[in-house]
Amino acid sequence: MQTILRKVFIALLVMTASAVSAQRTVNGTVTDGRGTPLIGASVSLKHRPHTGTTTDTKGHYTLVIPAGEDPTLQVSYIGYIPRTGKPSIKTNRLDLALNEDETGLQTVVITGTRTPKLLKDAPIVTKVISADRIKKTDATHIGELLQAEIPGIEFSYAMDQQVTLNMQGFGGNSVLFLQDGERIAGETLDNIDYNRLNMDNVERIEIVKGAASSLYGSNAVGGVVNVITRDATEPWTANLNARIGAHNNQRYGGSFSFKSGKFNSLTNIQHTHADAIDLGRDGDYSTVFGSKTWNIKERLTFNATDRLNFTGRAGYYFRERDKSADTRNRYRSFSGGIKGRYSFAGGKDDIEVAYSFDQYDKSDLITSSRNDIRDYSNVQNSLRALYNHKTGRKNVLTVGGDYMRDYLMSYQFENNGSKRQYTCDAFAQADLHVTDKLSAIAGLRYDYYSEARANNLSSKLGMMYKVGNCSLRGSYSGGFRAPTLKEMYMSFDMASIFMIYGNENLKPERSHNFSLLAEYIKGRCSVTVTGYYNKVDNRITTAWNKALNGMQYVNMAPLKISGFDVNAQVKYPCGFGASASYAYTHEHIKAGEPLTSSTRPHTATARIEYDRQWKSYGFCITLSGRFLSGVTTDEYTSVSSYEETSRQRYPGYAMWKLSLAQRIAKGVNITLAADNLLNYRPSYYYNNSPSTTGTTLAAGISVDIDKIFK
Amino acid sequence: MRRHPTKQGNGMKRKSIFTALLTGVALLSLSSCNGMLDDIYDIPQESTPDGYGFLPSGDATASGKVCIDATDYKKWTYIDFRNKVCHTTEIGEDSTDAAPAEWDIAVHRYDTKTNGASVCETDENVLGKPLPAGAVFAEDVYTTDRIATDMSGMMDGNILYASSYYNEVLSRWLDVDTSNMPPAYTLSGRVYIVKLKDGRHIGLKLSDFMNPAGIKGHMTIDYYIYPQAEQGILIMNNP
Repeated sequence: MQTILRKVFIALLVMTASAVSAQRTVNGTVTDGRGTPLIGASVSLKHRPHTGTTTDTKGHYTLVIPAGEDPTLQVSYIGYIPRTGKPSIKTNRLDLALNEDETGLQTVVITGTRTPKLLKDAPIVTKVISADRIKKTDATHIGELLQAEIPGIEFSYAMDQQVTLNMQGFGGNSVLFLQDGERIAGETLDNIDYNRLNMDNVERIEIVKGAASSLYGSNAVGGVVNVITRDATEPWTANLNARIGAHNNQRYGGSFSFKSGKFNSLTNIQHTHADAIDLGRDGDYSTVFGSKTWNIKERLTFNATDRLNFTGRAGYYFRERDKSADTRNRYRSFSGGIKGRYSFAGGKDDIEVAYSFDQYDKSDLITSSRNDIRDYSNVQNSLRALYNHKTGRKNVLTVGGDYMRDYLMSYQFENNGSKRQYTCDAFAQADLHVTDKLSAIAGLRYDYYSEARANNLSSKLGMMYKVGNCSLRGSYSGGFRAPTLKEMYMSFDMASIFMIYGNENLKPERSHNFSLLAEYIKGRCSVTVTGYYNKVDNRITTAWNKALNGMQYVNMAPLKISGFDVNAQVKYPCGFGASASYAYTHEHIKAGEPLTSSTRPHTATARIEYDRQWKSYGFCITLSGRFLSGVTTDEYTSVSSYEETSRQRYPGYAMWKLSLAQRIAKGVNITLAADNLLNYRPSYYYNNSPSTTGTTLAAGISVDIDKIFK
Repeated sequence: MRRHPTKQGNGMKRKSIFTALLTGVALLSLSSCNGMLDDIYDIPQESTPDGYGFLPSGDATASGKVCIDATDYKKWTYIDFRNKVCHTTEIGEDSTDAAPAEWDIAVHRYDTKTNGASVCETDENVLGKPLPAGAVFAEDVYTTDRIATDMSGMMDGNILYASSYYNEVLSRWLDVDTSNMPPAYTLSGRVYIVKLKDGRHIGLKLSDFMNPAGIKGHMTIDYYIYPQAEQGILIMNNP
């Protein structure tokens, strides 16, 4: 008996030893094209993706390949083209240099589907502005950035110099802005406070044009803009930056992040200041108000286990606008939230639960009494649950729901009163990878708004077909915007000139969006053409009400917006890159409706750049321009009648910007920029004219302290 | 033997983290339904700090402040500096209100008129200083397009006006620029000398046009009644 046991034991020992000896431990280094180690690059077995690791601070990795497995490794890193390779049999080593993804198609996007997806595989058309592009654009305000990068977007002034957006015919209340997927409370003349979207630490900005209400509900009638903050992936980083420009325009920022054990954190503080600008010419406005802002943000992530993590965030924002000698307008926000994410079933399923708080206040500082009097407060408490289930190779089923309590106190309500609204929704989406060439997405969402007593079912259907170097995408999506508390309950005395009344019987806006996109990519060149058609029913606007002898919110006749975009870009390894985009927008509004069209039909952007990088020095010189055609519109001669019109022409203009971004050693970046190179100056400052006084210069410095020490 | 307590410890630790997080979320959501940090804002009373009319001052006769509610487009407020009283009348065709027997200046919104007086604008921003030589006094003018009583037709160019006397110089104490919406308001900050028809001289300065809550049309006027001796100097300099 003992002999038998001994033989079995020896046999097991031999089998184990042979199995261990059949394992391979391979190692190597992952670098970029310049030999700089890539930290946190993913290294895994090509045919067994769950077996993998990430590179350390020196770009080094070690991976044990189980016996019998194909040793082909797949290496990937955000912003770089993935590569595969086999380790040397003799040395068990594989060093790989990854090339930058010049077309950006390897970027992971999330907005179009609410689950991470490579841009090249996203069935919903998504435009991405990368962190590198944000840096090169030298923009402080998201408006500057979006206008420089995407045609068809115009940020201008509305009454009282409040910033207003027009995105191919859709205004600020029809385009949903998100910060890391969270809604932003507060509005002024239908637009959020865009200054809250600080460009420090932005990983990328994703723009989905067209309705996205099947995922995001109300307000996503015309599109979604999602500003995504970078993750802290390195042991520590520290950045200090400053920028000084014309009109005493100053910006100072500092960021610190760390990753230690189960925690990682990102802290950012930014301050801006701008003097008032005397435009020196007649116009709808003759002085641009001076302002200053403070923006402080903290995000802390706790990775409890490999599968469970929690993220907490908090933020404070303050803006002061020097409106007049006697009054300064103040804007504040307090935001916070906590999110938990748990993945299970081998990473195939994950569930996310999040609570979000956002408060946006407006107050006036009366300089004579030093009283700071609040007259507006919007408080949103939201709870969200999201579940993703992956099946097969790339199919994803997403279900989720939101609950929000929306509180609004406003000077526009009778006696500065307050109102509340509760909203809830549920949604489901199937993202199907039918074949390697064909993928499809279908989604449905139900929304309920308590005060508006509005129910809505939004749907979406999208398909993508890849043929060779081409991909074709087509989609239908339904849009929805519930009447807001302001639109339902306003009772506002407009400087004793007229009253503006809300309307509790408003119907929700509903839109139908059809889009088609063709994309051709060959090598380093890409061309995309997109055509779209939108029909918006029940658009909410103000109109004169004879019985009330004042303005009142009403639903108007259907509005139709159609157009197309063309985009071409190329980038070569020698450092030369160029891109050009053109957008045509046609807005059709029936005569006699309270609104008339004032969207510029033709807009374009262009960019040429030359980028060279060496070990201790690099530069990128960029010439960029944007062109906006003039627009002729018929404006009503009276606010109380929609019969007589007068023709008004708003002139077009072109703005060119030249910027030189230099990197000295590892962590010092210096940017010099000259804006409005052609010294354009409007002869009359309309609200939609650029508030420029001619060519301006700016200089900025950004120091990555951690890189100096590494 | 040692593994079990460790597992239990991890479990308790995880449980306590969950409990802390849930408590934090619950507290945050409950305390913040209608917002937070209310205390950083001021909540002033809607009226002027010390009510309307002539405010008590150290020198009850020579100088002080007068506060009036001029928010209504259809009212004149008459100010009598001798008797320290204010009187309000309605404007309109149906109104039977008449001006009081004694008054020195009257205010409608930011507009002014005088009781047969004339006014000069000085370069001073402090009351009580001697009038510079060569100052020019302006009398009221009769207008039909300055005293707006109904602005509701403004956007259609149909503002209703009351015919009235109007003092263009004193009305410069506040500039209202309506070329853009909302209008821009700028206090001149200057002292105006009112030469009354009985020979008295009064220095006036509009120190505020808003109440502590920031509501426009609540006027705070600083005044200084020149003593007889100084009035003599003034009259000598400006016969």
